[in-house]
Amino acid sequence: MTFFQALVLALLQGVSELFPVSSLGHTILVPAVLGWHNVDRSSAPFLAFVVVLHLGTALALVVFYRAQWYAIVRALIASVVRGRLSDDRDERIGWRLVVATIPVGVLGIIFEAPVRRLFGSPAPAALFLMINGLVMFAGEALRRHQRQTAGRADKPIQRLSYAGSLSVGAAQALALLPGISRSGISMVAGLLCDLDHEDAARFSFLLATPVILAAALLEMPKLFVPAAHVVLVQALVGGIAAGIAAYLSVAFLTRYFRSNDLRPFGWYCVVVGTICLILARRGIIT
Amino acid sequence: MRVVAIALAIIFFILGILYGLGKINFFTQSGAAHAYHITHLVVLWVLALLCLIWARFQSAPR
Repeated sequence: MTFFQALVLALLQGVSELFPVSSLGHTILVPAVLGWHNVDRSSAPFLAFVVVLHLGTALALVVFYRAQWYAIVRALIASVVRGRLSDDRDERIGWRLVVATIPVGVLGIIFEAPVRRLFGSPAPAALFLMINGLVMFAGEALRRHQRQTAGRADKPIQRLSYAGSLSVGAAQALALLPGISRSGISMVAGLLCDLDHEDAARFSFLLATPVILAAALLEMPKLFVPAAHVVLVQALVGGIAAGIAAYLSVAFLTRYFRSNDLRPFGWYCVVVGTICLILARRGIIT
Repeated sequence: MRVVAIALAIIFFILGILYGLGKINFFTQSGAAHAYHITHLVVLWVLALLCLIWARFQSAPR
């Protein structure tokens, strides 16, 4: 992997991890489309490189939401010490994040390896990217239908039910499939649980932080294998680039979702997924 | 419910140890026996901790 390739992949990871367009799908499809056959996704140096990119992305999320995380962690500790739940806003958000993280963690360790083995090539990634776009359209349509027919109003994150939190977490576990976006699918689940776009995005990003950070920390041993040392500089620069890209992405998206919805990303996923699927079926990308 | 929470915590804790020692290998990447599945150990211990917190909420004075 050259320095240029590492930088492109890092920026791609930082942006596509938070934009609802699937980072995993893009890291499979982009090298395939550009013909980067020297990028071996299963090699030890590449796996170490990916760990650092995830660390950079997770740290960017922690920095962006630092004030909220501080308040949440403080409120959670206080409630455990007290042994009682209160009506504190940060505490309620914190416990909803804990509940939502459980299905992601459990399903992640059970299904990650078989899913990567089965679907880790361009054709399934393109197909799932297309499906990701359709899910976003369906989510937006269902939400409009819920509001018009059932008259359901938006509620803030702290009023989300525990069952709703669990369903957002379970939905996020679908992002194990390359092409299905972590933020996209959990935002759709949040919208269907009556969050507005801004809160659904915030809950999705807050939920992604411990998941990405834990995944990166658990994979840390891959950084210390001798083969990983050859990409040390690329990994360092890549981690910083991914972190900066992730920070700018989350700053943009939190503003964007104040007044916009998921449909533009849905169009992007359907169009790019369709093109890549055709190219993969014709054997142009492998 | 407190007893259930504590029982679950103990089960998760023991399962974590068994994964860590390589005695069980369900749902693991390699499926290889006698491999040390630290990820599974960590996740199971986190679940055990959450069960203990759940038990704490059940036992505190109202």
